[in-house]
Amino acid sequence: MSNPTIEIKKPKEDLNYTSGLRPVHSDSNPDAKPLPKITIDGKQFEFKPGDTIMQVTERYKLHEEIPRYCYHPGMPIAGTCRMCTVEVEKAPKLMTSCSTPAADGMVVHTKSEKVMKSRTGVMDFLLTNHPLDCPVCDKAGECKLQDYNFEYGPSKSNFKEEKRVFENATTKVLSDKVTLNMNRCVHCERCVRFTDDVTKTNDLVMVNRGWHKELDVADERGLHNDYQGCLTDFCPVGALTWNDFRFQKRSWFLDKKASICDRCSKGCNIEVHSDKDIVYRYVPVFNELVNGHWMCDEGRSSFQDLMNPKRVISPLLNHNGSLTATSLATVLAEVKKSAAAASSVQLIVGTDATREEAALLKDKSSLAFGRSVTVHFHNGFIRSSGEDKKLDALLRMADKTPNTRGVEEAGLTPLANGEVSADIVILFRNGRAGTPKLSANQKVILWGVWTLDEVKALPTTNVLALIPGLATIEKEGSFKNADGIVQKFHPAIEHRGGAVSAHQVIGLLTANK
Amino acid sequence: MNYNNEHFEPVITPNVTVPGCETLAFYLEKENGYKALEKALKMKPAEVVEEVKKSNLRGRGGAGFPTGMKWSFMPSNPVDANGNPKPKYLVCNADEGEPGTFKDRLIFTKTPHRMIEGMIIGGHAIGSNKGFVYIRGEWHKEIRLMQKALDDAYAKGFLGKNIFGSGFDFDLVIYKGAGAYICGEETALLNSLEGKRGEPRLKPPFPAQVGAYGMPSCVNNVETFAAVPYIIDKGWERYAKMGPERSGGTRLICVSGHVHKPGVYELPMNLTINEIIEIAGGTKGGRLKAVIPGGASAPMLRADECDVKTDYDSLMKAGTMAGSGGLIVMNDTVNIVEATYTLLKFYEHESCGQCSQCREGSHWLARMFKRILDGGGTHDDLDYISKICANMAGQTICAFADAVTGPALSSVRKFRGEFEELVTRGGLKGIGRHESVSHKLAGAHV
Repeated sequence: MSNPTIEIKKPKEDLNYTSGLRPVHSDSNPDAKPLPKITIDGKQFEFKPGDTIMQVTERYKLHEEIPRYCYHPGMPIAGTCRMCTVEVEKAPKLMTSCSTPAADGMVVHTKSEKVMKSRTGVMDFLLTNHPLDCPVCDKAGECKLQDYNFEYGPSKSNFKEEKRVFENATTKVLSDKVTLNMNRCVHCERCVRFTDDVTKTNDLVMVNRGWHKELDVADERGLHNDYQGCLTDFCPVGALTWNDFRFQKRSWFLDKKASICDRCSKGCNIEVHSDKDIVYRYVPVFNELVNGHWMCDEGRSSFQDLMNPKRVISPLLNHNGSLTATSLATVLAEVKKSAAAASSVQLIVGTDATREEAALLKDKSSLAFGRSVTVHFHNGFIRSSGEDKKLDALLRMADKTPNTRGVEEAGLTPLANGEVSADIVILFRNGRAGTPKLSANQKVILWGVWTLDEVKALPTTNVLALIPGLATIEKEGSFKNADGIVQKFHPAIEHRGGAVSAHQVIGLLTANK
Repeated sequence: MNYNNEHFEPVITPNVTVPGCETLAFYLEKENGYKALEKALKMKPAEVVEEVKKSNLRGRGGAGFPTGMKWSFMPSNPVDANGNPKPKYLVCNADEGEPGTFKDRLIFTKTPHRMIEGMIIGGHAIGSNKGFVYIRGEWHKEIRLMQKALDDAYAKGFLGKNIFGSGFDFDLVIYKGAGAYICGEETALLNSLEGKRGEPRLKPPFPAQVGAYGMPSCVNNVETFAAVPYIIDKGWERYAKMGPERSGGTRLICVSGHVHKPGVYELPMNLTINEIIEIAGGTKGGRLKAVIPGGASAPMLRADECDVKTDYDSLMKAGTMAGSGGLIVMNDTVNIVEATYTLLKFYEHESCGQCSQCREGSHWLARMFKRILDGGGTHDDLDYISKICANMAGQTICAFADAVTGPALSSVRKFRGEFEELVTRGGLKGIGRHESVSHKLAGAHV
């Protein structure tokens, strides 16, 4: 069976509204039993028995008509926010569309007067105790309380009492990654259900009752799951915020482009949020074949490596024992000269190279360097994709590089014993793969994404040159993930330094006779 | 007293004033105890259910759902996904928390075996071998008495294996709640029983399909179970005849407030509220002003509306409900706004906090009433109370939000004059009531 190739594109909907459900159609065979039908706002739709009203609307992309706080397609149903109520003909009360099963012949109105009145009521209640501190809230601009209030809320509130204040939880650090502001909470309890049913770590609980109800950590370990960032994604208000992003950027300035996370072999789909080509955060993008709705914290924070001020973005050349910035043409000429003089040259491709780069380096290296170059790959975490394994039931993988299977497929073989043997070793990596064992005076040429700290940490001091390369989110290419799914991606930000693509380097080297 | 009802006789409380009435020996000797169980075990389960159905026994916890019908909803042979049989559970709801209600406590302390016998019969009827008695945690003495009663019943072989040689096994255990009003709601009770937060569950699925520990379960009130032995022993006709058309038997009415003889009265349902107040010694300390007929959640009635019978349907027609039988009598010294605030304070504290409307609305109403009492109210507030109530009622998972709107809405509708007086004259101080309940409450609230 051939594995699917997915092109990662910017999704049309946000995660709240994405379930992966598709329209269903009755079997064209006249003997087959036709699927049941439901009428929503005057139109008839076929559905799969067992669907809730909300799921039918998801199938046909009508669901943005129905506001929701507690409902999330990736979690069990709670039915408590009462925002998604719809009018079902013949039902005495309004029904929550997230929990009411669709039935054959059911007639549903999602915008009737009664429904709109109920939604206005819910908004009126939710806003009574909300601090309305939007000007200093990081969620502003992508907040469901703002959005739904604009659409359904009362224009003014009659609440004249003192607002509820959780004095101990106004800025409560739940972990080194997430901060809670309980005053903003609308008690949808998505976060509690996420830790109960998705990560199954049960680290969050609600304590107390009624209007005192407060989110807290379950025990002394605090918030400790590996997917805490997701809490801040689906928190409909600014109650849970991602420490890295707090007070960094107003959300409406962010430029949002789809890309892929290269922090492990899962290849979670992400959206890169940047402004002026500076990345502020990664958020997951729904892909039912790869990551569902979620991504891990390790991947979410991995943009920090690319935004690291110590990342080398200028070509460096060894000048009397110290690495000095110079022009790319000078570096490439020197590299080619050293390679020609060496008795043997090895090119080690990190498994974080794209499939295209791996193929290019395998086929064109000897031509480019004007001599025979042996090409191997090196992972640094595992020897080959066969050793890769899941770290938990959700997404995290042991292989912390994104394309081991793709590099193997390109025909490269792993470095024997993880050791290098040639006179000159060229290390090509995108900032994720490990470095092979080097001897103390091994001559190396570094290529790709490196930080000064990584260069300093090398056992050898004999670095001949450094050719800066583009990081995953800055270039085009494709990865084959641990499950064999090939995912194509496009640049999410433009590189603002002196790094160039591998294709360009190979082209320049080949032209440089 | 015949209460204008020739068929009436006490079903549950014939001997509760006799010393020693709570013992098993008394129950066996004087009250024909466990004879109904022996009789029921000779009947087929379906026949027992049919008997209860025909008796028109309705749930005494508050909602008044026909008990026989509830029992008939239990699946006969439930199996799990692998085809293995599932156990069924019978649960007794003894989380009596409705303000103004104290009838279950009387049954627990005076005639516990009647309830135990009713539960065993119920277990036989629905095919359950395991029952739970969910008791509110504050009832230390009652828990002790019930445990004693259970131990006695086990010792005599009324509980345990092969009861009366019929081959029917039934075990009954006590589970102590942790003191939440909402755990009287049957699905919140089941959550609490499982050790989870006491929050009502989304329905469907109903407990008859997915109840305690995911198994089919049936939850009934203490008084409901206590009525079952009589029905089996004396026959459904006699029980049904005592009440009006669609509700059989007697009711335990808990009369409290401004009456001379407050307490639990077992009465037929053809009596009016005025008649019940007469039986309880008449209004004390002033003229009758208002009555809450079915526990705090029932909308209150003005004195001129009290000529209404206390069966489920008549009270429903009068715009209130029979509820749990807690009849709270208020005389004309009571300030209705203050009294309602006391109730709202309770609801604000007891809302489980799941649903938006209930969590925020109960808080809002309580604060608003407080502000009106303190002299900060406006005429707009009075109109807005009905609006808040309209946004709450019928919009949530359980009936708690409706319960909050009961006193809030009825007070402002029926006693608007008192609200306006507080608004125009600057609160309780303005009308010369300094030693107010609300001030004491505010001081006590931490």
